[in-house]
Amino acid sequence: MAVAEFDLSRVSILLAEDNHYIRVLLFQCLKALGIGLVRTCKDGGEAIEVLRALHVDPGKAGAGEFDVIVANWQMAPVDGLALLRWVRRHQESPARFVPFIMVTGHADRAKVEQARDMGATEVLAKPFSVQTLAERLAQVIDRPRQFVHTFDYFGPDRRRCVPAVPGRIERRTITEAEIEVVYD
Amino acid sequence: MRFYRLRNRLKEKTAGLGQSVGLALAEAVLLAAEAEFAKLSEDYPQWVLEQLERLQQQHRAAVAEPARSALAFQAINEIAHDMRGQGSTFGYPLISTVGDSLYRFSQARAAYDDNQVEIVKAHVDAMRAVIQGRVKGDGGEIGRALIASMQRAIAKYAGAVGPVP
Repeated sequence: MAVAEFDLSRVSILLAEDNHYIRVLLFQCLKALGIGLVRTCKDGGEAIEVLRALHVDPGKAGAGEFDVIVANWQMAPVDGLALLRWVRRHQESPARFVPFIMVTGHADRAKVEQARDMGATEVLAKPFSVQTLAERLAQVIDRPRQFVHTFDYFGPDRRRCVPAVPGRIERRTITEAEIEVVYD
Repeated sequence: MRFYRLRNRLKEKTAGLGQSVGLALAEAVLLAAEAEFAKLSEDYPQWVLEQLERLQQQHRAAVAEPARSALAFQAINEIAHDMRGQGSTFGYPLISTVGDSLYRFSQARAAYDDNQVEIVKAHVDAMRAVIQGRVKGDGGEIGRALIASMQRAIAKYAGAVGPVP
Protein backbone atom coordinates (compact mmCIF):
# COMPACT_ATOMS: atom_id res chain seq x y z
CA MET A 1 0.00 0.00 0.00
CA ALA A 2 1.27 3.43 -0.85
CA VAL A 3 2.21 5.55 2.13
CA ALA A 4 1.54 9.28 2.05
CA GLU A 5 2.98 11.83 4.42
CA PHE A 6 0.84 13.53 7.01
CA ASP A 7 0.31 17.23 6.84
CA LEU A 8 -0.74 18.17 10.36
CA SER A 9 -0.72 21.93 9.88
CA ARG A 10 -4.54 22.16 9.92
CA VAL A 11 -4.90 19.98 13.01
CA SER A 12 -5.66 21.50 16.40
CA ILE A 13 -5.03 19.78 19.71
CA LEU A 14 -6.23 20.51 23.22
CA LEU A 15 -3.46 19.46 25.62
CA ALA A 16 -4.17 19.08 29.34
CA GLU A 17 -1.17 18.32 31.52
CA ASP A 18 -0.59 19.70 35.01
CA ASN A 19 3.11 18.97 35.08
CA HIS A 20 4.89 22.05 33.76
CA TYR A 21 7.88 20.33 32.16
CA ILE A 22 5.88 17.51 30.62
CA ARG A 23 3.45 20.10 29.27
CA VAL A 24 6.33 22.01 27.69
CA LEU A 25 7.78 18.76 26.32
CA LEU A 26 4.48 17.61 24.81
CA PHE A 27 3.77 21.07 23.40
CA GLN A 28 7.20 21.33 21.74
CA CYS A 29 7.03 17.79 20.36
CA LEU A 30 3.51 18.29 18.95
CA LYS A 31 4.57 21.55 17.32
CA ALA A 32 7.72 19.90 15.95
CA LEU A 33 5.53 17.14 14.50
CA GLY A 34 3.75 19.89 12.58
CA ILE A 35 0.50 20.32 14.53
CA GLY A 36 -0.96 23.69 13.59
CA LEU A 37 -2.53 24.67 16.90
CA VAL A 38 -1.86 23.34 20.39
CA ARG A 39 -3.92 24.89 23.18
CA THR A 40 -2.43 24.01 26.58
CA CYS A 41 -4.35 23.68 29.84
CA LYS A 42 -2.99 23.20 33.34
CA ASP A 43 -5.50 20.56 34.35
CA GLY A 44 -8.75 18.88 33.39
CA GLY A 45 -10.82 21.69 34.91
CA GLU A 46 -9.26 24.31 32.67
CA ALA A 47 -9.77 22.03 29.65
CA ILE A 48 -13.45 21.68 30.53
CA GLU A 49 -13.75 25.47 30.77
CA VAL A 50 -12.18 25.87 27.32
CA LEU A 51 -14.53 23.25 25.85
CA ARG A 52 -17.54 24.73 27.62
CA ALA A 53 -16.69 28.16 26.15
CA LEU A 54 -16.56 26.49 22.75
CA HIS A 55 -20.03 25.07 23.38
CA VAL A 56 -21.42 28.46 24.38
CA ASP A 57 -19.62 30.58 21.79
CA PRO A 58 -17.27 28.88 19.30
CA GLY A 59 -15.89 32.25 18.17
CA LYS A 60 -14.78 33.31 21.64
CA ALA A 61 -12.93 30.12 22.47
CA GLY A 62 -10.16 30.95 20.02
CA ALA A 63 -10.53 27.88 17.85
CA GLY A 64 -13.36 26.47 15.82
CA GLU A 65 -12.96 23.02 17.27
CA PHE A 66 -10.32 20.65 18.55
CA ASP A 67 -9.47 17.62 16.45
CA VAL A 68 -7.77 15.65 19.21
CA ILE A 69 -7.56 15.89 23.00
CA VAL A 70 -4.34 14.78 24.69
CA ALA A 71 -4.64 14.64 28.48
CA ASN A 72 -2.67 13.30 31.38
CA TRP A 73 -4.60 10.96 33.65
CA GLN A 74 -2.92 11.93 36.95
CA MET A 75 -3.75 15.62 37.30
CA ALA A 76 -4.98 17.71 40.18
CA PRO A 77 -7.58 18.92 40.95
CA VAL A 78 -9.51 17.57 37.91
CA ASP A 79 -7.85 14.50 36.43
CA GLY A 80 -7.85 13.11 32.91
CA LEU A 81 -10.50 10.51 33.60
CA ALA A 82 -12.94 13.15 34.84
CA LEU A 83 -12.17 15.22 31.73
CA LEU A 84 -12.79 12.20 29.51
CA ARG A 85 -16.09 11.46 31.27
CA TRP A 86 -17.16 15.07 30.74
CA VAL A 87 -16.13 15.07 27.07
CA ARG A 88 -18.00 11.86 26.27
CA ARG A 89 -21.09 12.29 28.42
CA HIS A 90 -21.80 15.88 29.40
CA GLN A 91 -24.59 17.64 27.57
CA GLU A 92 -22.45 20.77 27.23
CA SER A 93 -19.57 18.88 25.64
CA PRO A 94 -19.02 20.19 22.10
CA ALA A 95 -16.80 17.25 21.18
CA ARG A 96 -18.36 13.95 22.24
CA PHE A 97 -16.77 12.08 19.33
CA VAL A 98 -13.31 13.67 19.53
CA PRO A 99 -10.32 11.29 19.61
CA PHE A 100 -8.95 11.28 23.17
CA ILE A 101 -5.38 10.20 23.92
CA MET A 102 -4.89 9.45 27.61
CA VAL A 103 -1.32 9.84 28.90
CA THR A 104 -0.53 7.84 31.99
CA GLY A 105 2.39 6.75 34.13
CA HIS A 106 0.38 3.73 35.27
CA ALA A 107 -0.13 1.77 32.09
CA ASP A 108 -0.90 -1.60 33.63
CA ARG A 109 -3.65 -3.66 32.05
CA ALA A 110 -6.33 -2.69 34.58
CA LYS A 111 -5.67 1.03 34.07
CA VAL A 112 -5.68 0.74 30.29
CA GLU A 113 -9.01 -1.10 30.47
CA GLN A 114 -10.43 1.55 32.81
CA ALA A 115 -9.48 4.31 30.35
CA ARG A 116 -10.85 2.30 27.43
CA ASP A 117 -14.16 1.69 29.25
CA MET A 118 -14.52 5.42 29.86
CA GLY A 119 -14.13 6.02 26.11
CA ALA A 120 -10.43 6.78 25.59
CA THR A 121 -9.36 6.34 21.99
CA GLU A 122 -5.70 5.61 22.72
CA VAL A 123 -3.47 5.30 25.78
CA LEU A 124 0.06 6.75 25.74
CA ALA A 125 2.24 5.27 28.48
CA LYS A 126 4.89 7.30 30.26
CA PRO A 127 7.77 7.34 29.70
CA PHE A 128 6.77 8.16 26.15
CA SER A 129 8.95 8.95 23.15
CA VAL A 130 8.40 11.02 20.03
CA GLN A 131 7.88 7.75 18.17
CA THR A 132 5.10 6.49 20.46
CA LEU A 133 3.42 9.93 20.47
CA ALA A 134 3.51 10.02 16.65
CA GLU A 135 2.15 6.46 16.48
CA ARG A 136 -0.84 7.30 18.66
CA LEU A 137 -1.59 10.36 16.50
CA ALA A 138 -1.29 8.30 13.32
CA GLN A 139 -3.63 5.72 14.81
CA VAL A 140 -6.42 8.22 15.59
CA ILE A 141 -6.10 9.90 12.20
CA ASP A 142 -5.63 6.89 9.97
CA ARG A 143 -7.67 4.18 11.69
CA PRO A 144 -10.61 5.70 13.57
CA ARG A 145 -13.14 3.25 15.00
CA GLN A 146 -16.88 3.52 14.85
CA PHE A 147 -18.57 4.91 17.96
CA VAL A 148 -20.77 2.68 20.04
CA HIS A 149 -23.62 3.81 22.27
CA THR A 150 -25.07 1.24 24.66
CA PHE A 151 -26.93 1.62 27.94
CA ASP A 152 -23.64 1.82 29.85
CA TYR A 153 -21.02 2.88 27.30
CA PHE A 154 -20.39 5.67 24.86
CA GLY A 155 -17.11 5.84 22.99
CA PRO A 156 -14.99 4.32 20.25
CA ASP A 157 -15.64 0.64 19.56
CA ARG A 158 -13.55 -1.21 22.13
CA ARG A 159 -12.97 -4.07 19.74
CA ARG A 160 -10.18 -3.26 17.31
CA CYS A 161 -10.83 -6.44 15.37
CA VAL A 162 -13.71 -8.88 15.28
CA PRO A 163 -12.56 -12.33 16.34
CA ALA A 164 -14.56 -15.48 15.73
CA VAL A 165 -17.21 -16.23 18.32
CA PRO A 166 -15.61 -18.46 20.98
CA GLY A 167 -16.71 -22.06 20.44
CA ARG A 168 -18.83 -20.76 17.58
CA ILE A 169 -21.74 -20.41 19.99
CA GLU A 170 -23.24 -16.90 19.87
CA ARG A 171 -24.28 -15.92 23.40
CA ARG A 172 -25.16 -12.28 22.72
CA THR A 173 -28.89 -11.80 22.74
CA ILE A 174 -29.11 -8.50 20.88
CA THR A 175 -30.95 -8.74 17.56
CA GLU A 176 -30.54 -6.82 14.30
CA ALA A 177 -33.74 -4.91 15.10
CA GLU A 178 -32.14 -3.49 18.23
CA ILE A 179 -29.12 -2.10 16.38
CA GLU A 180 -29.19 1.26 14.69
CA VAL A 181 -26.34 2.47 12.51
CA VAL A 182 -25.97 6.23 12.13
CA TYR A 183 -23.94 7.81 9.34
CA ASP A 184 -23.19 11.48 8.90
CA MET B 1 -27.48 -0.18 20.71
CA ARG B 2 -26.36 2.45 18.27
CA PHE B 3 -23.29 2.60 16.04
CA TYR B 4 -22.01 5.90 14.69
CA ARG B 5 -19.96 5.66 11.50
CA LEU B 6 -18.69 9.14 10.90
CA ARG B 7 -16.77 10.64 8.02
CA ASN B 8 -13.07 10.78 8.78
CA ARG B 9 -12.68 14.55 8.64
CA LEU B 10 -9.37 14.39 10.44
CA LYS B 11 -7.89 12.27 7.68
CA GLU B 12 -9.30 14.63 5.08
CA LYS B 13 -7.57 17.50 6.85
CA THR B 14 -4.22 15.75 6.98
CA ALA B 15 -4.07 13.92 3.68
CA GLY B 16 -6.71 15.21 1.32
CA LEU B 17 -9.29 12.81 0.01
CA GLY B 18 -7.08 9.86 -0.93
CA GLN B 19 -8.77 6.91 0.72
CA SER B 20 -6.55 3.93 0.14
CA VAL B 21 -3.19 5.15 1.30
CA GLY B 22 -1.59 4.54 4.64
CA LEU B 23 -0.20 7.58 6.38
CA ALA B 24 3.17 8.18 7.95
CA LEU B 25 5.02 11.16 9.30
CA ALA B 26 7.90 12.40 7.21
CA GLU B 27 11.23 11.14 8.48
CA ALA B 28 12.61 14.68 8.69
CA VAL B 29 9.66 15.78 10.85
CA LEU B 30 10.18 12.88 13.23
CA LEU B 31 13.89 13.65 13.47
CA ALA B 32 13.16 17.32 14.21
CA ALA B 33 10.73 16.35 16.97
CA GLU B 34 13.25 13.90 18.42
CA ALA B 35 15.89 16.64 18.43
CA GLU B 36 13.46 18.87 20.35
CA PHE B 37 12.81 16.06 22.83
CA ALA B 38 16.57 15.47 23.27
CA LYS B 39 17.19 19.19 23.77
CA LEU B 40 14.59 19.41 26.54
CA SER B 41 15.95 16.22 28.12
CA GLU B 42 19.40 17.78 28.30
CA ASP B 43 17.95 20.65 30.34
CA TYR B 44 16.17 18.29 32.69
CA PRO B 45 18.92 17.98 35.37
CA GLN B 46 18.93 21.78 35.66
CA TRP B 47 15.13 21.77 36.06
CA VAL B 48 15.45 19.20 38.85
CA LEU B 49 18.01 21.34 40.67
CA GLU B 50 15.61 24.30 40.48
CA GLN B 51 12.81 22.18 41.90
CA LEU B 52 15.07 20.91 44.67
CA GLU B 53 15.84 24.53 45.50
CA ARG B 54 12.09 25.24 45.72
CA LEU B 55 11.69 22.22 48.01
CA GLN B 56 14.45 23.52 50.26
CA GLN B 57 12.84 26.99 50.38
CA GLN B 58 9.58 25.43 51.60
CA HIS B 59 11.51 23.32 54.02
CA ARG B 60 13.29 26.38 55.45
CA ALA B 61 10.02 28.34 55.59
CA ALA B 62 8.37 25.60 57.60
CA VAL B 63 11.25 25.47 60.06
CA ALA B 64 11.28 29.25 60.45
CA GLU B 65 7.51 29.56 60.80
CA PRO B 66 6.02 26.36 62.24
CA ALA B 67 2.56 27.93 62.21
CA ARG B 68 2.66 27.93 58.41
CA SER B 69 3.99 24.39 58.12
CA ALA B 70 0.76 23.00 56.68
CA LEU B 71 1.10 25.40 53.75
CA ALA B 72 4.72 24.38 53.28
CA PHE B 73 3.74 20.71 53.22
CA GLN B 74 1.10 21.44 50.65
CA ALA B 75 3.71 23.16 48.45
CA ILE B 76 6.15 20.28 48.98
CA ASN B 77 3.40 17.85 48.00
CA GLU B 78 2.72 19.75 44.77
CA ILE B 79 6.41 19.91 43.81
CA ALA B 80 6.80 16.18 44.59
CA HIS B 81 3.76 15.43 42.38
CA ASP B 82 5.47 17.24 39.50
CA MET B 83 8.78 15.47 40.06
CA ARG B 84 7.32 11.97 40.23
CA GLY B 85 5.60 12.56 36.90
CA GLN B 86 8.74 13.72 35.09
CA GLY B 87 11.73 11.57 35.94
CA SER B 88 10.88 8.47 33.92
CA THR B 89 10.11 10.46 30.78
CA PHE B 90 13.52 12.12 30.86
CA GLY B 91 15.47 8.96 31.62
CA TYR B 92 15.71 9.36 35.40
CA PRO B 93 13.21 6.88 36.88
CA LEU B 94 14.90 7.16 40.30
CA ILE B 95 13.66 10.77 40.48
CA SER B 96 10.15 9.44 39.92
CA THR B 97 10.63 6.78 42.61
CA VAL B 98 11.91 9.25 45.23
CA GLY B 99 9.41 11.93 44.11
CA ASP B 100 6.56 9.44 44.55
CA SER B 101 7.77 8.56 48.03
CA LEU B 102 7.95 12.26 48.99
CA TYR B 103 4.52 12.86 47.46
CA ARG B 104 2.94 10.12 49.54
CA PHE B 105 4.75 11.23 52.69
CA SER B 106 3.78 14.88 52.31
CA GLN B 107 0.12 14.20 51.62
CA ALA B 108 -2.27 15.35 54.34
CA ARG B 109 0.45 16.26 56.81
CA ALA B 110 -0.68 19.14 58.97
CA ALA B 111 2.06 19.22 61.58
CA TYR B 112 5.70 19.73 60.81
CA ASP B 113 8.23 18.62 63.39
CA ASP B 114 11.96 17.97 63.38
CA ASN B 115 11.58 14.33 62.39
CA GLN B 116 9.48 15.20 59.37
CA VAL B 117 12.05 17.81 58.41
CA GLU B 118 14.64 15.07 58.32
CA ILE B 119 12.45 12.84 56.17
CA VAL B 120 11.91 15.61 53.61
CA LYS B 121 15.65 16.27 53.69
CA ALA B 122 16.40 12.57 53.05
CA HIS B 123 14.29 12.73 49.89
CA VAL B 124 15.91 15.97 48.71
CA ASP B 125 19.40 14.56 49.34
CA ALA B 126 18.59 11.37 47.41
CA MET B 127 17.28 13.30 44.40
CA ARG B 128 20.24 15.66 44.47
CA ALA B 129 22.61 12.66 44.46
CA VAL B 130 20.76 11.13 41.48
CA ILE B 131 21.07 14.33 39.46
CA GLN B 132 24.59 15.28 40.45
CA GLY B 133 25.77 11.76 39.65
CA ARG B 134 23.67 11.71 36.44
CA VAL B 135 22.33 8.34 37.62
CA LYS B 136 20.11 7.31 34.71
CA GLY B 137 17.89 4.25 34.47
CA ASP B 138 17.66 2.19 37.68
CA GLY B 139 21.22 3.24 38.48
CA GLY B 140 22.44 -0.31 39.15
CA GLU B 141 24.46 -0.67 42.36
CA ILE B 142 24.60 3.09 42.94
CA GLY B 143 20.84 3.44 42.46
CA ARG B 144 20.08 0.64 44.89
CA ALA B 145 22.47 2.13 47.46
CA LEU B 146 20.84 5.57 47.14
CA ILE B 147 17.34 4.23 47.61
CA ALA B 148 18.43 2.00 50.53
CA SER B 149 20.11 4.95 52.21
CA MET B 150 16.97 7.08 51.82
CA GLN B 151 14.77 4.29 53.15
CA ARG B 152 17.04 3.88 56.19
CA ALA B 153 16.69 7.61 56.94
CA ILE B 154 12.91 7.41 56.55
CA ALA B 155 12.68 4.35 58.80
CA LYS B 156 14.84 6.03 61.44
CA TYR B 157 12.67 9.14 61.67
CA ALA B 158 9.32 7.60 60.75
CA GLY B 159 9.27 5.75 64.08
CA ALA B 160 8.83 9.10 65.78
CA VAL B 161 6.17 10.48 63.46
CA GLY B 162 4.16 7.40 62.51
CA PRO B 163 4.42 5.25 59.42
CA VAL B 164 4.86 6.80 56.01
CA PRO B 165 1.54 6.21 54.21
